[in-house]
Amino acid sequence: MSVFQVLLPAFVAGLIVTGMLAYLGVHVVERGVIFVDLSLAQIAALGTTVGILAGYDMHSEMGRVFSLGFALIGAAVFALSRVHRSTRIPQEAIIGIAYAVAAAAAILAMSKATGETEHLKEMLVGNILSVSWRELAKTAGLFVLVGAFHFALRKKFLLISMDEPEAERQGLSVRFWDFLFYGSFGVVVTSSVPIAGVLLVFSYLIVPAVSAMLFSQRLGVRLAIGWSMGAITSAIGVYLSYLWDLPTGATIVTTLGAGLVLLACVRWATGRGRVAA
Amino acid sequence: MKRIAVGLATLLTLAASPAFATMKVVTSLQDFSSIAEAVGGPRVEVFALAKGYQDPHFVEPKPSFILKLSKADLLIVAGLELEIGYLPPLIDQSRNEKIRPGGPGYLDASAGCDILERPTGTVTRAMGDVHPFGNPHYWLDPDNGRVIARAIAARLTQLDPPGASAYAANLAAFEAKLTEGQKRWDAALGPYAGAEVVTYHNSWPNFLKHFKLVAAGYVEPKPGVPPSPAHVVELINLMIEKKIPVILIEPYFDQKTPKSVAEKTGATLLTFIPSVGGVPEAKDYISLFDYDVKLLAGALAAKKGTRP
Repeated sequence: MSVFQVLLPAFVAGLIVTGMLAYLGVHVVERGVIFVDLSLAQIAALGTTVGILAGYDMHSEMGRVFSLGFALIGAAVFALSRVHRSTRIPQEAIIGIAYAVAAAAAILAMSKATGETEHLKEMLVGNILSVSWRELAKTAGLFVLVGAFHFALRKKFLLISMDEPEAERQGLSVRFWDFLFYGSFGVVVTSSVPIAGVLLVFSYLIVPAVSAMLFSQRLGVRLAIGWSMGAITSAIGVYLSYLWDLPTGATIVTTLGAGLVLLACVRWATGRGRVAA
Repeated sequence: MKRIAVGLATLLTLAASPAFATMKVVTSLQDFSSIAEAVGGPRVEVFALAKGYQDPHFVEPKPSFILKLSKADLLIVAGLELEIGYLPPLIDQSRNEKIRPGGPGYLDASAGCDILERPTGTVTRAMGDVHPFGNPHYWLDPDNGRVIARAIAARLTQLDPPGASAYAANLAAFEAKLTEGQKRWDAALGPYAGAEVVTYHNSWPNFLKHFKLVAAGYVEPKPGVPPSPAHVVELINLMIEKKIPVILIEPYFDQKTPKSVAEKTGATLLTFIPSVGGVPEAKDYISLFDYDVKLLAGALAAKKGTRP
C-alpha cells in the first residue's frame, strides 16, 4: 500500500469539508458569529449523549436523529436570539452560553450513563485519517444538497449576512431565514465533525474565509481565494503529517494558521488596505 | 565519500537481513509488543500503536499507523472493546485482509485469559461504568501474561512454521523469566495480602486479584466525569475509617481530585504504570511488574511502619 493511498482519503475529506465550510465561513464571519459552529457541535454532542441515555447507540440511526434534532433546536435558539436591540446583548453571548451549558449538560448526562464514557471524547475528536470512502461519498452528497439549497436562496442569505437592516426594510422575516441558515449549518456541522473533529471543522470554517476577506469584498473572489487556500493548505498539511508522522488533523489546523499568516504578510507587502472592491 | 556511503548501506542491509523473512507484528499495546518480541526474537519486527504513557482508549492516529498495518503479518489487540475508539477504521483503511477480525493475522489477546467483571444478565445503569465484555485491563495479571505469550507463540508458529523451534525455545525462556519474576513479586507483596487500596478508576482488578489486594473504592468511577461531592465525602470517610494507605492512578489521568483526597486522608497517591513504556524503567513486561510491585510494596511498607 502506498503512502498516496493512505493520505488520499484525508486529502479528499479536506477538499469536501473546505468546499462547504469556506462558503459558510464567509457568512459566519460577516455575521460575527464566529463560535456558532463550536456551539452547534457541542449541542449535537449533547443530543448524542441524551440518545445514549435513552438507549440508542451513538452510531445508530436514532443516535444521529438525536444529534441532528438537538442541532436544529440550537439553530432555532440562535435564529430567535439575534442581537437584541433594546438590551444590546450580542449574539455571541448567547452562542457562548449555549456552548457552556451544552458541554456541562453532556457531562451530567454521561455521569448517568452506563459505560460509553469513552465516546464523549470520540464525538468531538473525529479522525480525518481514518475516514472511509463511503462516509466521504455520503457527506459529499449531503453537501451538494445543502449547497444547492444555499445557491437557490443565496440572495436572501447574503442580504441578511451582509446588510441585515436592509433585509428588514425589504420586509424579510429575518428569523425565519436565519432558522433555515442555522439549520442547514447544523446539518453541515453534525456531518463534518465526526469526520474531521471540532478543531479542524472550526479552522476550515473560519481560516479560509478570513484569508479571503483580506483580499476582496466580492463573494465570488472570496470563495475562489478561500477554496484555493483550503485545498492547498490541506494538501500541504496532509503531506507534512506524513513527512513528520504527526496527527493529521492537528497538522492541517496549524498549516491553515501558517497559511493565514503568510497571506497576511502578502497583503501587507503588496500595499496595505488596498482591498479590491 | 559516496563509496563509503554505499559500502555502509550494503553492510547495514546485510546486517539487517537475516536468513529468514521477518514477521511484521503490530500491537495495540506495548505490553503485547514486549511479549511478542520476547517470543519472536529476531524473527519478528514489532510496532506498538499506543505507547505505554498514552491512554490506550484514545490514540491519535498517524499516517505511519496505516502503513504499518497495511504491511503487518500479525495484529495483536487487547480486544474487549479497548481499541474500539480508534482501531477499526484504521484496519479498514489499511486494506490488509489478513489482520481483519477473524483473519489469520488477527489475534485477540484476551482469548483464554482470566477476564474479570464480565457482566452477566442485563446491564443496568445502577452497575456504573460497565465494560460489556469484561474489564479490558487484564494483562496486569502475570498469569494472563503467560496465556498471552503462549497464544502469541502458537499464532507465530502457525504463520511462520519454519520458526516453530525458535518460538518454542523463546517461549520457554520467557516463561522461566516470568516464573522467576512471580516469585519475586509474590514475596514483595505477600505480606500485604488482603490490604485495601483505592484506585482512580477500575483499571486494576486483575493486578489486585492476583496479588490478593482489594479495591475498596474508586476516586472517579468515570474518568473525565468529576465525582459528585457526596461520593468524595463517602470515599474520604471510608478511607479514614479503614485506614486505606494508598490511591493508585494511571499516569494519563488528571491528578487533581485524587490528590486532594489523598491529602485529606493521609494516603499516598501512587502513579501506577499500566503498560510497558509508561516510564523508562518499565521497558518490558517483566520490568513493568518489577516497577509497580516495588512502588506499591514500598508505599505499603512505609504506611505500615507509621501506623498503630
